[in-house]
Amino acid sequence: MSGKPKAQSRMKRDKKDEESSGNLYAHLDKTSVLQEARAFNETPINARKCSLILTKLLYIIQQGESIGRTEATEAFFAVTKLWQSKDANLRRLVYLVVKELSNISDDVIIVTSSLTKDMTGREDVYRPASIRALCRITDTGMLQTIERYMKQAIVDRNGSVSSAAIVSSTHLMKKSSEVVRRWANEVQEAVSSDNHMVQYHALGLLYHIRCNDRLAVNKLVQKFSKNSLRSPYAVCYLIRIAARCLVEDDQPDSSMFTFIESSLRHKSEMVVYEAASAIVSLPHTTSAELQPAIAVLQLFCSSPKAALRFAAVRTLNKVAMAHPTAVMSCNVDLEKLITDSNRSIATLAITTLLKTGAESSVERLMQQISGFVNEISDEFKIVVVDAIRSLCSRYPRKHAVMMPFLAKMLRNDGSFEYKKAIVETIIAIIEENPDAKTAGLAHLCEFIEDCEHDNLSTRVLHLLGREAPKTPNPSSYIRFIYNRVILESTKVRAAAVTALAKFGAQCVDLRKSIQVLLRRCLLDSDDEVRDRATFYLKMLTEAGESVIHNFILDGLQISPSGLERAVLDYLKSGNYSAPFDLRIVPVSTQALSQPEKLEPYAAQLAAIPEIAKLGPVFKSGTRIALTESIAEYTVHLIKHTFANAIVLQFECKNTMNDQLLLDVSVELEDPESEWQPSGSIEIPKLPYGEAQSAYTILEFPESGAISGSLGAILKFKVMDVDPTSGEPDSEDTYDQTYVLEEVEIAVSDSIQAVSKSSFASAWEALGEDSAREETFQLSTVDTIPEAVKKIAEILGLSPCERSDRVGEGKTQHTVLLSGIFRGGYDVLSKATVAIDPSDNSINMNIIIRSTEPLVSDLVISAVV
Amino acid sequence: MLAMVNKVLDWIRSLFWKEEMELTLVGLQNSGKTTFVNVIASGQFTEDMIPTVGFNMRKITKGNVTIKLWDIGGQPRFRSMWERYCRGVNAIVFMVDSADEEKLEGSRNELMQLLDKPQLESIPVLVLGNKKDLEGALDERQLIERMNLSAIQNREICCYSISCKEKENIDITLQWLIDHSKAQR
Repeated sequence: MSGKPKAQSRMKRDKKDEESSGNLYAHLDKTSVLQEARAFNETPINARKCSLILTKLLYIIQQGESIGRTEATEAFFAVTKLWQSKDANLRRLVYLVVKELSNISDDVIIVTSSLTKDMTGREDVYRPASIRALCRITDTGMLQTIERYMKQAIVDRNGSVSSAAIVSSTHLMKKSSEVVRRWANEVQEAVSSDNHMVQYHALGLLYHIRCNDRLAVNKLVQKFSKNSLRSPYAVCYLIRIAARCLVEDDQPDSSMFTFIESSLRHKSEMVVYEAASAIVSLPHTTSAELQPAIAVLQLFCSSPKAALRFAAVRTLNKVAMAHPTAVMSCNVDLEKLITDSNRSIATLAITTLLKTGAESSVERLMQQISGFVNEISDEFKIVVVDAIRSLCSRYPRKHAVMMPFLAKMLRNDGSFEYKKAIVETIIAIIEENPDAKTAGLAHLCEFIEDCEHDNLSTRVLHLLGREAPKTPNPSSYIRFIYNRVILESTKVRAAAVTALAKFGAQCVDLRKSIQVLLRRCLLDSDDEVRDRATFYLKMLTEAGESVIHNFILDGLQISPSGLERAVLDYLKSGNYSAPFDLRIVPVSTQALSQPEKLEPYAAQLAAIPEIAKLGPVFKSGTRIALTESIAEYTVHLIKHTFANAIVLQFECKNTMNDQLLLDVSVELEDPESEWQPSGSIEIPKLPYGEAQSAYTILEFPESGAISGSLGAILKFKVMDVDPTSGEPDSEDTYDQTYVLEEVEIAVSDSIQAVSKSSFASAWEALGEDSAREETFQLSTVDTIPEAVKKIAEILGLSPCERSDRVGEGKTQHTVLLSGIFRGGYDVLSKATVAIDPSDNSINMNIIIRSTEPLVSDLVISAVV
Repeated sequence: MLAMVNKVLDWIRSLFWKEEMELTLVGLQNSGKTTFVNVIASGQFTEDMIPTVGFNMRKITKGNVTIKLWDIGGQPRFRSMWERYCRGVNAIVFMVDSADEEKLEGSRNELMQLLDKPQLESIPVLVLGNKKDLEGALDERQLIERMNLSAIQNREICCYSISCKEKENIDITLQWLIDHSKAQR
């Protein structure tokens, strides 16, 4: 009886709270919360008050409030004072706060002793939480002092203690794997625990301990798949490990697959689903292997449990593209799910059907989905958009149905991710299907009129600048773009100015009007916008066609750090009689906006005087193995091309633990005596396990040859050493040689692939004089796509305007290639590949144009 | 008259409320701080202790006085944190291994550094020379001299020579501590 009024009054109070502020923590101020934390130093401790303050502290940390180191340390030490209270709830909050502060406060190890006491104490509610907190505050050095307690906790009889210790150890693997590995015996013992969670966690940790050793992982799966694990969670985990082994191993053990398949008959639905999902996600499965798994998923599709239906249809959706025929066998069940009351299931069912269905059913399904597209969450709308995207690439003719649908979705409210997915889909459709271009661009123009996401606006503007000038009526787009200059934020305005300039560059008849618009932009309030406008205006009024192309359409395709180095060298040289030559700057295809990839070799090379005097590196090739990977001495070759020389870097590694190698060098021999080394740098001393580089400098021969293949022999002196100490046994050495694979120098070493965004105009700009033409038969390839890939590879040129994609069933294709020859000469190529219907042989006609006729000669000679 | 009434009131209060005091125990590693806590809490002496990593918090009741004891680790990396736990306590207990000649100077420096902190001004200090049972252990007088305790003028300071192992002088130490629970009020 007496409880009733109390409950009522509490209800009243709750109600009042709700009305007044809603969330008690909504308007917390960091400074005042930290101020309140001083109450922890008071005596006696008021547990209720302190609990509330700790909760507030946790709340502000979770909200992402950043707390400075001094403040955090101050708060942390105040919190440690709370250990004197015996209040269980307070203590557990203390553990949470200690974990949160562990990264932002100094000297957190001060609570080590207190936590160890709690974790070994009698109070069971303290033990798991204190283990978790302890593992968060310890570093590798401290870990050894608590090792004993951790080992005990892992095999503790209390399941939550054991689980906490195992999971914390899994986290510790990241920073101190060596120490955790020593606990393998205890973990092994925990795997045989009766507690489901403990078994699962222990199996997980055991796998993490062994995951670098393939053989051990195989053994682990074999062992536990036989004496069956009790915990369904653990079985699921084992299935995942087995599936990973199947994917990663070159010759996977067939027993792995047998295990997964047998799990399809497990009594737990969770395990059955896991097994089915693992099988359908495996690569290279036969239809016989797939069949039982698909059957299970099909069964789940008609399960009364929504979770199972969802899981099944989601999995089918994911693999629909990889196994269309298998998934199609479930079509009847999927059709039933279209009307499922759970919209997420319905969406996935429809999109799966869209992915596998016939062209004729597309309209019907789209109709169905547009009925409830507004009811589903953004996440699932993205699934729909992705389905449409794949559909459009399969049935290009359906774009007429899809485009208005996408446009409608674009008009509705939605998150950034959702809008981004739609915009990307429309862009993809435009790029793949020229017929859809006009409609797609129109929808995008409408979209940017009212777009709140700067990132998407700039993307669309970039696309307009590239694609719209090539449409029949480019002037119609200019109004949309210029509106951006007037209405939008700085970022978008700048992008709009660039887009306008691209119209001016490509459409000569519009150039006058573009100049007028750009002139208006000169008065913009922002530096960047004004700078761009000034630059483009100057270009469009004064520069010649080819300059306009190079600087407005393609931009500077050079590496920023390379430019910096080259300019610095120029300034240091003190010789300003000749203007700075941009052609000596290393080129880079990467957009300037992206963070520059570190050039791993540039600094290494610049440190060697013989190589530094060759000038800046034009191009560094990939790492090629010249030996078997298991050889006694492994050598990798990296070719660095300079304006007039090529440097061969031989990265040598000594894998013999009883040998010290001295004076290591690589001797080259050219059977045609074209290439002569003009210098070499040897490795004075190569101890076991180390990798160092020897260099050979080859100047390009005067004959003009740019390719060749050279025999290579590794030469060195061996000194025997003691394998354990590395000390030499004696001072005696003996000479040894080791034959390497041949070193190939190809035309592609002299060319850096750089693609042109507007190939046709660049092609015209180079003119006929430098053109070289050649026709020949290709004997090594059988299909057109292969031939296209091959020619780009041989020449080291980059395909332009997506011309490397060959339409299905075509008998003729022209690929447009471009690049830069060392020394800064543009090289363009048009290669037409055709299949001779009479004997299915492949013929190629190739035309090379270049800024320097000699370069055309060199390049064409490389193909023949 | 008023003093008389106050005395009576104090007496009545002590019947209902327990006195509470807060102590912080510091000193170099291996001087016997945690051992001392165990001895006054349960009377048990353990020979091989593991170093305290951080601090131990103990509450000990003696008569009607509850002693809250912060036992802080003595390893170098914890010394900078001593001060944080000494602020506002009734007394600081500084433990010295009186049989370890080599560490004596370090011990003195740490004590002086600690007492220089402005926040700890006028907090009474009890210096305990532990391990008096060992051969060559210094007695009180020698300890006062070697630790230069006479130089400390601005606060109450006291020095006892004790042995946790033989439980020597533990009683007078406790008495001193209990006396200081009232002195502060």
